[in-house]
Amino acid sequence: MLLEVRDLHVEFRTRDGVAKAVNGVSYGVDAGETLAVLGESGSGKSVTAQAIMGILDMPPGRITGGEILFQDRDLLTLKEEERRKVRGAGMAMIFQDALSSLNPVLSVGEQLGEMFVVHRGMSRKDARAKAVELMDHVRIPAARERVKQYPHQFSGGMRQRIMIAMALALEPALIIADEPTTALDVTVQAQVMDLLAELQREYDMGLILITHDLGVVADVADRIAVMYAGRIVEQAPVHDIYKAPAHPYTRGLLDSIPRLDQKGQELYAIKGLPPNLMAIPPGCAFNPRCPMAQEVCRVDVPPLYEVSAHGEPEHVVAEPGAERVSACHFWRECLHG
Amino acid sequence: MSDNLTLPAQQGPADVTPAEPLLEVQGLTMHFPIYGGFPIKRKVGAVQAVDGVDLTVGVGESVGLVGESGCGKSTTGRLITRLLEPSAGKITYAGRDITHASRREMAPVRSEIQMIFQDPYSSLNPRQTVGTIIKSPMEVNGIEPEGGREKRVRELLELVGLNPEHYNRFPHEFSGGQRQRIGVARALALNPKLIVADEPVSALDVSIQAQVVNLLKKVQEELGIAFLFIAHDLAVVRHFSQRVAVMYLGKVVEVGDRDAIYNRPRHPYTHALLSAVPEVEMDDDAEPRERIRLSGDVPSPIHPPSGCRFRTRCWKAQDKCATEEPPLLQISGNRAGHLTACHFPEEPTTEARDEDVILDPALQALEGSADQG
Repeated sequence: MLLEVRDLHVEFRTRDGVAKAVNGVSYGVDAGETLAVLGESGSGKSVTAQAIMGILDMPPGRITGGEILFQDRDLLTLKEEERRKVRGAGMAMIFQDALSSLNPVLSVGEQLGEMFVVHRGMSRKDARAKAVELMDHVRIPAARERVKQYPHQFSGGMRQRIMIAMALALEPALIIADEPTTALDVTVQAQVMDLLAELQREYDMGLILITHDLGVVADVADRIAVMYAGRIVEQAPVHDIYKAPAHPYTRGLLDSIPRLDQKGQELYAIKGLPPNLMAIPPGCAFNPRCPMAQEVCRVDVPPLYEVSAHGEPEHVVAEPGAERVSACHFWRECLHG
Repeated sequence: MSDNLTLPAQQGPADVTPAEPLLEVQGLTMHFPIYGGFPIKRKVGAVQAVDGVDLTVGVGESVGLVGESGCGKSTTGRLITRLLEPSAGKITYAGRDITHASRREMAPVRSEIQMIFQDPYSSLNPRQTVGTIIKSPMEVNGIEPEGGREKRVRELLELVGLNPEHYNRFPHEFSGGQRQRIGVARALALNPKLIVADEPVSALDVSIQAQVVNLLKKVQEELGIAFLFIAHDLAVVRHFSQRVAVMYLGKVVEVGDRDAIYNRPRHPYTHALLSAVPEVEMDDDAEPRERIRLSGDVPSPIHPPSGCRFRTRCWKAQDKCATEEPPLLQISGNRAGHLTACHFPEEPTTEARDEDVILDPALQALEGSADQG
């Protein structure tokens, strides 16, 4: 495994109380694999990613437990100096809003080249040449001229390409993309998503794709982890999850997206609101909104059960590395009903 | 809030264009001037945000207006609600020309045309209670409903699925979805005949988005309110609107009923837009859809391309497209009411083609290298 997150806990101390943003998340990514992390705002998907990158705001954030193993080293025990070397060269991140992630007063060439100056000790001139090469690689037209331009002179899609180029600069083993296409228009979104997927294949990188859009995920991901209230509620290969979800929340999400091939029917809507992270409901966090909830759901926190679509799974509670898991006491009923 | 807003399937003549138009827009144009120069500033150009849009919304009909950012869809909405003064064109509401109506002339119409905004955070005054927010349209227009304004506010809160007891709460006490419901209640306060909804659900989470779409649909059907639904999300529009207009760079390029736009599109841009929507395939034997990847972004509306505005990104463009602007017409092969502005229209299908249309050089190169390696 390239990256393995084990039982990660993150909380935020605020004036109003302690918000438990991540409550025992475990997932892993291999080289050349794409893991999609799906969830609504406040589900903890971005906080987990920030903890992996080591860019969590601390305080108010605090990692209260767990391990993050990257290339067999626990990142949480590393010194900040070593952590910095991992960032950029080992793993890189692409953010949603390219305009605010780029420095408006530096040309894109300087920003791209800085990666090589800082991490590789190159001269400014060589770094500039590298920047042009990178921009060419993400197919920005007229890279040689545009390398001198500033972020505001690029369109949204081009800016996101520059972010991708920057992430690719040192050929990291892992890329974390946090909602990389959410701010873009559909036709541009499709271009950027395809580009990212192709580049991932070319470099054989691990990719963690964080998104709230089930559609974006379907085409590019190998596996999906669905998060709710700071926990993973279901994890499965992409096709299995779309065919037959094993958690009522995943089912609800799938049913509530408007689709191109449907018209006019009423949309299924998950009732209620996402939970307050300062007062997560006892038992299963989803139980107040769940159509299948029973007494046990209000009392017992469901463990991650191993799921098998055909026959009995090997273990009741999933071992690490299980192919398909669901945090629902009634995953069988959900899967088959 | 109500538990589940699932509604019974829609009945009746859904996809039929109603005979009686409520709102008619002809040749609507909005050019925002650009000033520059030194020492005397003068007009040096114009952002041609909306350039000759024709649109009709019937009584009780829901019309969708889709397009990418910068295509002028929101400006069109603001022109119709007269928040902006159009540069040219004509807006007729219920047989009355309101294009350049004065404040006083607009007064009786104002209460009938309402707006719902995209951002439920900035469109509600944080210092006012929910009751005050919903009540103020009635106060401004001097309307005294039966049983008093407060009673009406409570009714409205209940209608949009909020607890009427929350009358005295402030917007920050509500979640994004609930705030959008407050916005809906405010728009309904004056019993409008037309609501312009500008991206009403795009700021919301998926599970909440479905709740609000269902609420708007309920309101539209039960109260018979006409909607101009402005959105960039084609799937949401398909759910909500009986007729759909597709805009590109200030112009309507295709308009038709739901079935025409989604199943029998003719304009290359509509094809590209539909094929770019990422879709969840739950069904293995679903028909493969066509794959089109445009290159680049929408051109600047300050210097739009000559002729057909889409030609710079179109795979079918020829010399004629640069010199002659295609009119919005019912081209041969289209059913009644389905208009397309294109010289060389596509086949009316969304099925996969023999060869994908990939105009993006980055993808072309990558796919080429993948084939060799």
